Order: sequence, then structure tokens, then C-alpha cells
Amino acid sequence: MSNILVYAEIEDGVVHDVSLQCLAKGREIADASSGKVDCLAVGSGIRAAAEGLGAFGAEAVFVAEDAKLEQYLTSPFKKVVSDFLKTNSYDLILFPATTVGDDLAPAVAEALGVACVLHCDGLAGDALTRLEFDRKVSTTYKAEGCTIASLKDGIAVAGAPDSSRSAQVSDVAVELDAASTKSKVLRRDVAKKTVNLKDAKIIVAGGAGVGTKENFSLIEELADALGAQIGATRAVVDAGWLPADHQIGQTGVTVRPAVYIACGISGAVQHRVGMLDSGKIIAINTDKNAPIFKIAHYKIEGDLKEVLPKLVKLIKA
Amino acid sequence: MSYNCIVIVREVWDTRDLTGSVLADNGSIKDSMLTRFEPEDMNALEMALRIKDEHGGKVTAFSVGTPKQVDVLRECLYRGVDEVVRVDAGASSLGTQAAAQLLADAIGKAGQYDLICVGVTVADGESSMLGTHVAGKLGIEQVSYVDAIEEIGEGRVVGKRGIEMGYEYIEAPLPALLSVGVALVEDDPRTPRSAKAMLKLKAKKAEIPSADVDASAVTSPVSIAGREAVPERAVESKDVAAEDETALKSMLDDVLKGE
Ligand SMILES: Cc1cc2nc3c(=O)[nH]c(=O)nc-3n(C[C@H](O)[C@H](O)[C@H](O)COP(=O)(O)OP(=O)(O)OC[C@H]3O[C@@H](n4cnc5c(N)ncnc54)[C@H](O)[C@@H]3O)c2cc1C
Ligand SMILES: Nc1ncnc2c1ncn2[C@@H]1O[C@H](COP(=O)(O)O)[C@@H](O)[C@H]1O
Repeated sequence: MSNILVYAEIEDGVVHDVSLQCLAKGREIADASSGKVDCLAVGSGIRAAAEGLGAFGAEAVFVAEDAKLEQYLTSPFKKVVSDFLKTNSYDLILFPATTVGDDLAPAVAEALGVACVLHCDGLAGDALTRLEFDRKVSTTYKAEGCTIASLKDGIAVAGAPDSSRSAQVSDVAVELDAASTKSKVLRRDVAKKTVNLKDAKIIVAGGAGVGTKENFSLIEELADALGAQIGATRAVVDAGWLPADHQIGQTGVTVRPAVYIACGISGAVQHRVGMLDSGKIIAINTDKNAPIFKIAHYKIEGDLKEVLPKLVKLIKA
Repeated sequence: MSYNCIVIVREVWDTRDLTGSVLADNGSIKDSMLTRFEPEDMNALEMALRIKDEHGGKVTAFSVGTPKQVDVLRECLYRGVDEVVRVDAGASSLGTQAAAQLLADAIGKAGQYDLICVGVTVADGESSMLGTHVAGKLGIEQVSYVDAIEEIGEGRVVGKRGIEMGYEYIEAPLPALLSVGVALVEDDPRTPRSAKAMLKLKAKKAEIPSADVDASAVTSPVSIAGREAVPERAVESKDVAAEDETALKSMLDDVLKGE
């Protein structure tokens, strides 16, 4: 029997998609072993979002709410989660593999002296698998006793909410001492989300090969003609040509559109991991040896400044 | 005000440009695999050396492994580190948590320090948060995914932490541990410092001291149960000539069919 706890990461009143995926995965395992799945949410102003987790399959939802927990910091969150786990026991605790989950999971494991495996792509019984060595090897980890894991985006499909289900919601007392409140967040510079790449059917993505910020009008025209969203590599975001919410890849979003058009993108592994499950990949690149061509269904060796206007013309014709 | 900095460095498999299989027939990592200085640890090292350049103080590098597995410590000496300490892990390979325990024991015995820097190891996909475990065992504050130090002084450090869609600036009291991220942005600290010839000669002969810790006393709650090769992705791909409008049109028709 597996009793599972899912850490529900909530930002701006929304449960993180990967936390919902963890819940779906946890549900699957618990159902197969007649166990249960609960959720723990920590923060400030998170109650409404946490209550909604019942519809996604959580049996009980625990809410640790406190104004001091408005922004994520390791020590106070570690204190709250590990205090909770000292009085509530679970076999498996799942965190989303985000910059919060990957930070908090090992910190809690450390506080409790239990096992921790990060960035898992697979979870079956007590076997945790993870892709390593440039995705060439899948390594299976086994742990003894209570196990903490962070699961990567794509681990499961976050199901649609079922309004006939609800969870028992209870409050968790928050006790923060001086030792857990020594650090502080001075400020945050975070891009507002203006694009929804995850739900896009078609993505036209530009890389450093686009050349200039102005040239992005070529990408925009194709995206408009196709009703597509615009993606980018980190090189483009670092250059300031597009805001960070457009970034696809390891430190950006992971996308799975039906069609992905990669324009002037070399296809570095950190970019590939964010888009290689796209249905059809079209790559336009002047370098016939660009790694992106290894995963492209359609390879166009050529200058995007010439190819993109052609495509727009053909679509509009 | 000068600072005593500690860096934790690791020698890892070189996963760049891997071709062919990584695994030998018996499922272990092939002997022919090369190793390299963990790139994020290199960032951490550079960060510590810059603090020393600016404020003075001392940099000490720690690494876990047998004498053969810690060439990175010699490289640290080439790059300007003052002292190195090898932490012996015994015969078997340790998990992250056990390695963290040994490091924490060794660091605890090494005397006063202000800051510990270690890489987050993202490059090879084995993103174990060694730093988080070490900080937890030492009972000090930690900040992860730090791409740059914004400020250090008055008993505190401000780290610029890379998060989804941007950055946050975290202030932590010293002593603190920073898990250093990729730091691709702005000023890339990955550029190695010039290995000064004199230093190089001296370091070649240098004894690498080892810490007095007991590897037989630590255990890891996690073990590797097996490794499997992941087959190369097979993509059926078509070349489409950039000038051929008919071919481009039929490509568009193909991919947009389902839409
Ligand atoms: C830890 C870590 C995390 C990272 N996370 C991410 C991430 O999330 N997302 C990401 O994208 N990157 C990420 N990166 C960076 C990644 O390694 C690459 O540096 C980046 O993806 C390269 O972007 P690019 O393809 O746009 O640029 P480049 O690699 O410079 O490629 C530009 C390409 O454009 C082609 N080109 C040039 N001119 C033309 C033209 N006129 N027409 C057509 N083609 C042309 C060139 O042949 C070249 O192939 C990360 C790196 C690290 C270390
Ligand atoms: N609990 C863990 N979580 C994440 N990574 C781990 C864990 N244990 C071991 N690793 C990684 O697995 C690799 C092999 O570990 P080792 O057992 O030391 O040979 C190392 O690169 C570690 O970073």
C-alpha cells in the first residue's frame, strides 16, 4: 500500500501544472495499491486554489497558510513541511521538479533523514527512474523507507477537474522560529506570462540565427499566418529580443505542440529537451550539420530570411 | 573585511558530444568515458576566487573521492586556490546524501568559514542537490540556483537566484552555502583563469592532503538498482529544398492536415 503526499506549489492563486501532474501520477499509484493521495500547500493566499485540489483527485488537503510564507524561501518552507511530516507519515512524497520543488525536496529529506531522488521521469512501484548522460541512459534508483522525489514535467497528464470529487481540507499550524526566518527575498524580477506556449497547437520558434530583434517580424508574420504562438531559445531571451516567458527548454517551458517550426535554432540539448516531443518538427537552418536536423521531420537548409516570407506567401495563397 | 570561502568540486563524466553507447555490456559505465571538471563547480570556484580577489581571504577546495578521482583538486591549485582537501569515500561509490555527510564532517573540522560555493550539476542531468544536503547537515542557510553574487558584506550575502521566468535576490546571513547555477547571463564566469606557470609547477608536486573522516560510518538511503541504454530517437526526416515552392507547399499541407 502506498500513501502519497503531493506538494502543491501555488503561485498567484494557481496550482503549478507539474504539481497537478504529480497528483495524477500519485493517484495512479495509490489506486493500484489501494493507498491514498493527499496534498500539502504552503504559502499565503493559497486556500482557494488548495481547496480545488479535491477535484483533481486529492483525498485530503492540508493548508499551511501564513503571511510570512508569501514568497518561497528554503528555511521556513522546510520547517513547515518537515514539521508536518513528523506527525503525518507517508511512503512517498512528490514534489514538482521546479526551482521551488528541487530546492525544497532535498532540504526536507535532509531535515527528516530520508531518501531523495530528484528529476525523475518515471515512477513505478518503488523504482524511480531518471534520464542521465545526455538522455542516453535511464537509471533506476531504489530507496529504503520513506522516499522524497521530484518529478519532471511530462510525468503524467494533469487530468481535468472532476467537480463531483472533493477533499477534506484542514489547516496546518505554522510555527516559524528565529532559526527558520534568517534569510529574506529582497526583490523579484519575473516576467509576466503573456504567452501560453503549453497549450499552443503550433509554435514558431526563433533562435540566435534570426539575427536581430527587428528580424523577429519575420517570425511574427509566419506565426500570425498560422495562428501560432512564438517561442524562443535562451540565446534570444538573453539578447533581450523576447521576454523570458517565450523561452523553451530546460530552464524554460516544455512544449508538445502538433507542429514546431525551429528557425535559426542550433538545437542544443538544453533546448531540445523542451520541444522534442512535438508532433512534427520543421527546422530551418543555414548549417546542414546543425543538431536540430537530427530530430527534425522536415529539414530545410537555407536562410530563414528567405524561407519564412516564402512560407507566409504560400499559406496566404 | 576578508572572507574564508570553501568550494566543493567534483570530477564527473563528460557528457558533451556523446556518440554511441555509454554503457558496457554488463550495464556499467564504459571505461572509455572521459571525465571533466563539473562545469557548475567551475562557476562556483570562479565565484570564490573573485571574492578573494576583491576582498582578500582564502579559498579552500574540497572534493570526495579516491586520489585518482580528484584531479580537480590539482586543477583548483592551478587556478589559484590556497588549500585543497580530499575527502576519502572508501572503496564503494557513495550516494549524494552520504557524500554530503562526509563533506560536512570534513568542513566542520576545517575551522572557521564564511561562505561555501558548490555547483548545482545540471549539465549531465544528474542534478543532485549536494549543496542542500551539506547546508542541512551543517545547519547553515543556503540559496540554490545562484547565478551571481550581488553583494557580500556585513555578515550577509545577496545571491541572484535564477527561477522560472526571471530572477530573485535572496539575502542570507553568513556563513551560508550557495548552490551555483549556470550563470550564462551577463558575465560568464566559466572562463578559466590563466593557470600561472609557477603555480602549476608547484602544484604538480603538491601533496593532496586528505580529511580525517570515516567513510565506513555513512550510509545512503538511495541506491542505483540498474541502468538501461535509451535507444536513439528515430525520426523519419525529409529534406525540403529551400527554393522549391512546390515542396514547401506540400510540406505545409502535410503538417497542417491535422489542424
Ligand atoms: C544549464 C543550461 C540551461 C539552458 N537552458 C536553455 C533553455 O531552456 N532553452 C534554450 O533554448 N537554451 C538553453 N540553454 C542554452 C543552450 O545551451 C544554447 O546555448 C541555446 O539553446 C542556443 O540558442 P540558439 O540555437 O538560438 O543559438 P545558436 O546555438 O547560436 O544557434 C543559432 C543557429 O542559427 C543558424 N543560423 C544563423 N543564421 C541563420 C539564418 N540566416 N537562417 C537560418 N539559420 C541561421 C546557425 O547555423 C545556428 O545553428 C541552456 C544552457 C545551459 C548550460
Ligand atoms: N538521492 C539522489 N538524488 C539525486 N541524485 C543522486 C542521488 N543519489 C545519487 N545521485 C547521483 O547519482 C550519481 C551516482 O552516484 P554514486 O552513487 O555516488 O555513484 C551521482 O552523480 C549522484 O549525483
